[in-house]
Order: sequence, then structure tokens, then C-alpha cells
Amino acid sequence: MSDTAIETSVDSSRALNSVARKTKLVGSALVGPALLLVVAINVLPAFYGFYLSLRKLFFFGDEGFVGLDNYIALFSDPFAWQAIWRSLVFTFGSLAIAVPLALLSAMGIRRLGRWGTVLLTVLLVPWAMSPIVVALLWKWILVPSPGGLVGSLFTAFGVPPQDLLTDPVLAMPTLIIIGVWRNFAFAAIILTGGLGQIPRDLYKAAAVDGLGPVETFRKITLPLLAPSLLIVISMLTISYFNEVQTIIGLTGGGPIRRTTTLSYLLYHTGFIELDQGRGNAIAVVMFMINMLLIALYIRILGKQPGGAA
Amino acid sequence: MRLKNMDRRELLKLGAAGMLLPALSGIARAQDFSGTIRIWTFLSPEGQSPREVVLRELIDKFTAANPGVTITVESQPFQELETKFVAASAQNRAPDIIWMRDTFLNLVNERGALANLDEHLSEAFRTEALPDLYQVFADKSVIGGTRTSLPLWPSPAQILFYRKDALAEVGLEAPPLTWDEFILVAAKLTSGDRLGFGLPTNDNSVSAFINMMTGFGPGIFDAATGHFDVTGPEAKETAEVVRQLVKAGALSPTLLNAMGDDIQDQFAAGRFAIVQAFAPRFEQYKKIAAAYDPEQLAVSPWPAFGDRPPAVLLGPYWTVGLSAKSENQEAATAFIESLYTPEASMQWAQVAGLVPDRRSVQSDPYFDTPEAATINVFDSLLAAPGALTFPPNLPDITKVFPVMNTALQELIGTDEEIDSILSRAKATLGW
Repeated sequence: MSDTAIETSVDSSRALNSVARKTKLVGSALVGPALLLVVAINVLPAFYGFYLSLRKLFFFGDEGFVGLDNYIALFSDPFAWQAIWRSLVFTFGSLAIAVPLALLSAMGIRRLGRWGTVLLTVLLVPWAMSPIVVALLWKWILVPSPGGLVGSLFTAFGVPPQDLLTDPVLAMPTLIIIGVWRNFAFAAIILTGGLGQIPRDLYKAAAVDGLGPVETFRKITLPLLAPSLLIVISMLTISYFNEVQTIIGLTGGGPIRRTTTLSYLLYHTGFIELDQGRGNAIAVVMFMINMLLIALYIRILGKQPGGAA
Repeated sequence: MRLKNMDRRELLKLGAAGMLLPALSGIARAQDFSGTIRIWTFLSPEGQSPREVVLRELIDKFTAANPGVTITVESQPFQELETKFVAASAQNRAPDIIWMRDTFLNLVNERGALANLDEHLSEAFRTEALPDLYQVFADKSVIGGTRTSLPLWPSPAQILFYRKDALAEVGLEAPPLTWDEFILVAAKLTSGDRLGFGLPTNDNSVSAFINMMTGFGPGIFDAATGHFDVTGPEAKETAEVVRQLVKAGALSPTLLNAMGDDIQDQFAAGRFAIVQAFAPRFEQYKKIAAAYDPEQLAVSPWPAFGDRPPAVLLGPYWTVGLSAKSENQEAATAFIESLYTPEASMQWAQVAGLVPDRRSVQSDPYFDTPEAATINVFDSLLAAPGALTFPPNLPDITKVFPVMNTALQELIGTDEEIDSILSRAKATLGW
């Protein structure tokens, strides 16, 4: 190899490195503003929230650094543990219904073609509505006195109207159903998109191989839908775990604390009792649980053949 | 003689001019006001409720007299007014005027968010209007020598509203005024879809349990600490009454999540015969009555325990404060004063059915008419022997109502021992 050839090779390598550096710089410059925004809006407030959780704050008066006192008080409170449990019941109860329902809807919508899209648009209305409007709407639907839709239905079937939102046993299932009604169509949209990504040839090959619908679903649809499912389950988990507005509007954490989830406890402690130090401690705990659950999903669903996560 | 006549005329002119001078100076003062006055209240100037109509009229009147002033009403959810105000004050963006509940006065004042009104109110207001207000309310606004606010709409606050037609069914004109008799009557009033008695059980700004306890008189509150004995004999007897009301069918065991608004809406729909309600909403209750004739609506004090007088708890009520950080304090104070003129008091009374803030206007012939009958009842309740206010230093004001509401829910909806329910409430409060 001649010297000229070596020089040319070194020059081109340098040129490539220079282009790579420039590309990297341009990339960083483009991502920079968005990154700064995320840091300013999400990261800094999160750290500030953690800092506030270490202080005694009441009604916007700072009474000083208290270390982990807010956390110790929180975990010594049996109502806080009950709230964590109820958050998990609400989250997983809603997920257990919403995800299969969304998957079934997505599959149905794909079969229905254009009419499926129209149906999905209609089903999406509750998701687009303000949670407080949803709460008011359902409050009127469920009101057990004359004028309530569900109460009238009960009466039509000869059953006395039930106070679904004030019954200590029925309040949580009622909230779960309303939560599913509100969110499943959004999940169905993502899954419809996910189903569209699966190559049709695979289904044809499965049919040639003699796979039944259940086997096809288990061996082709589900694994290849894993990335979409991961997104859906993660987003719904965050959404359900942090749900508070419909709870405020529908039950106010009652009856007898039966719908006091951790997010409602955060609202109540921080905005009703105005104990902002402990409220921030609850927010930090909620953040940790959210992260834990999402890490768990990534670990489980990321192992699926289609799961790139 | 001619000269004499001339002199008299001149004297009369002089006298008239002299009489006009204060008015002219008033106009001159009014015309000095300019800028924007921001108000935070739960009322909306675009709203149609009687109180909103009056507020709108008063604003229009003030801005017409003070063309340089713009008034901006920024409606807020009523439970958030005090919190948002303190937060906004800390960030120097508080409104000039704040509507707030008297129970929060102490806390808001401690945060330095309220101006001392005594330093801003006009001499005329201090000498004429202040002594004309109901002293029980006006005095409560003075904390450590600072006049933190002016009470608005003197009223018995949480009181009982009832349907006269329902009471007539059991041969009564009004609910009994002792709990023993009340339980029996409320049970008889439960009929079909209608319940005898309705209480807000999950409203963070009121506690039906404490209202019931006031049937023992003002002695339930410790004068030094502001506490009441959550596990004491009075609380236990109150809890027994709740249980008896449920057992007798007067109170629904499933009515565990009701807010004040829920009770209001369901009362309008005919679900209750007697309810706990906020007195200043009386006209609104009449307006939305759907299942009965609005003329059948009436008010009653709370029943008492034993031979004590019927109870009237004067609070929480609304009170109006001036921001310590307002940059337009003089104009804002002038607007606050305009809410308490005799004319304004008449408007609050005639349009919204509220007890006038200025006691002197009650000599107006309007108060002898049937339209003012309810106001007269409210007024008599304010002076009733069983009338009492929350102590100014009621501790844990942000916790006490929700905690007692949960205890009430447990009393209504479970069979748990009364002692353990009350002990848990006490432990939660840390008292």
C-alpha cells in the first residue's frame, strides 16, 4: 500500500470523524431545548418535591428541616397502608378489565374496517372528556333518587335503587368500572396500531401450518403485540395509579375511606389538610411505586419475542 | 325686611352648600380611585344565583361611581380560596380582595396575608357602619387587635331546612327541638323514596356531627384550647343519636358520601323531608325546588339535648378581607365598604334573602312583609340563647371536619362500637 493511499485513508477517516462529531453536535443542539424543558418541568420539580418532603410545611408555612419524619409518620399510619392497597386494587382491577377489553375491541375494530374506526371514535369520547365532567356525569347517572338513570333501570326491573357510590362494598368496583369506561378506548387505539404492524404473511403461514385461532393468538399476535401492550399497560398503570379527579368528584375518598387511594390521600393531605410536607412525601412514594411497576413491566414484557424494550 | 329676606335666603344657600360639601368631598374621593381591583370569591359575576346577581349589581354601581376603576372577579372553588390566597400572597400575586371562611381567619392572618382594615376603613365607615354590624361576627374578625376582615351575610350558617308539607303529614308545623322527639318524627317522615333526615357526611368544610353536638351548648368547646372532647360524654351521646336515627329509618345507612351540594340537589328532587343546609342558600333552595312547592320551605334551629335551648352554630360563615400586598388598597377598601352600605344590605336581603349586614335597615317596612319572613327567622336565630360560634382558635381546622365526617360515616354505615370509632377519630386528630 502506497503512502498516498495511507494518507487518503487517514484523511477520509478524519473527515468521517468530523462529520460524525458535527452530526452529534447538531443532534445535541436539536435535542437540547427539549431536554432542558424536561429538566425544568419534570426533573427539577421532582427534586424540589423530594426536598420539600424533608421539611415540615403546613399551610405554606415552612417550619424547618425534619429529615425523614414525614416518611416515618406516613409509614406508621395504618390508613396510608390501606391507601396503598386500595391504589393497587384500583389499578390492577381496572387493568384486568381494560386491557383485555381494549384488545378485543382492537381486534374487532380491525375486522369492522371503516365502521370500526367510526365506532372507535365514538368510544374515545369519554377519554377526551375532563375527568371532573366524567365524575359529574356518572354522579347523575348513578344518583339513587328519581332522575338517576341507573336507579330508574333498577326500578324498572323491580329492584330498589342502589347507592352504588356510597355503599362501602360497591363503591370501589363502581369506580373501577367508570375508570375502565373512560380509558379502554384509548388503549384500543394503540393496540389497533400495534395489530396493524404484524405482517399478514405470518397469519397466512399459521393457517397453512394448521394453527387454530387460539394458537395463532398465543404464538403470533400476543408476542408481536408485546411492545404495544407494554406501552398500553405502562400508560394505563400510571393513569390508574395516579387517578384522583374522578375519585374527588365521585366519592371524595369515601365511604369510610373505602376509595381513599394513595393519590387521593396525597390530595387530601396536601390540599385539604394542607400538610404539604407529608403530601410531598406521599408524592415521592407514589413516584417510586410507579417506577417499580414500570420496571417490572419492562422486565416481563421485554422478554417476549416481539418486545424490544 | 328685604335685607332680612335676602339674608335668610343667603343663609339657606349657605346651609345647603354646607350640607353638600361632605357629599362633594365624597364624590371627589370616589373619583380619585383608579386602577384594577381583583377579587377572589366563589361567586361568579356571570352567574344567575341570587347572591351573584347582587354582587354584579354592586360592582356595576361601584364602577359607575368610579369610572377609573375596573373590577375583575376571579371565581375560585370555595374550598380553595384560603389556600390559593396564601400561596398567591407569598408570590406577590394575590388579589386585592378575598372572600374566605371565618374558620381560616387565624391561619391566613398568621401567614401575614391580610391587611389591618382599621388602618384603611374610612372614618365614616368606622363610626357608622362598624357599630351597625352584628358584633358577634365583627368581633371575631379582630385577632390580636388587628381587624383582619369584615363578616358578610350574618347567618346561622349550617341550619335545618325542612318542608312544611312533609311536617304537616305528621301533624306538625316544625321539627321538634329536642333530639328525643326529633328522632321519632324524622322516622315518621321517612316514606317511600323520601328519607326523614339528610346530612352531608363527606363535606370537608362542615361537620354534621359537630353541629349535632352543639345541642349541648357552647360549653363543648374548651375556651383555652378550642378543643372539644372527641371521646367525652357529649360526643358519645351525639353518636348514640346518630345510631338511633339510622335504626329508626330516619337516616339512610347508605348515605355515606354526601356533599352539601348532593344534599341540596337531592332535597330539591324530594329525597328528604329535613336536611342540614347552609342558611345563605335558602333562596337558591327555593329556586331549584322541583318536588315540592318552594313556599313550603322553612328553617329550624338544631334540636338540643335535654332542656337546653335549640342550637344555632354561627359558622363557618363568609368574611371579606383586604390583601396585605394589594397595590390598590384604598380603592379595594372603598369597594369593600360598598358591600356594607344600607342600600347594599337591602339588596342582599331583598334579592338573595340574606340577613342584612347593617342591623339598622331592619326598620325598613320590607322586613314587615311576608317576603322577609325567613330573614326575620334567621335574625331571631342569631340572637337565640343557643347561638354560638366556633372558637377563634379551633385547632387543626383543616383536619377536624374530615376526621369527624369519617367518624360520622362509620357511625351511620357500620356496627362498630361507638367508643372505638370516637377513639380512632381522636387519635387521628392527635388530640
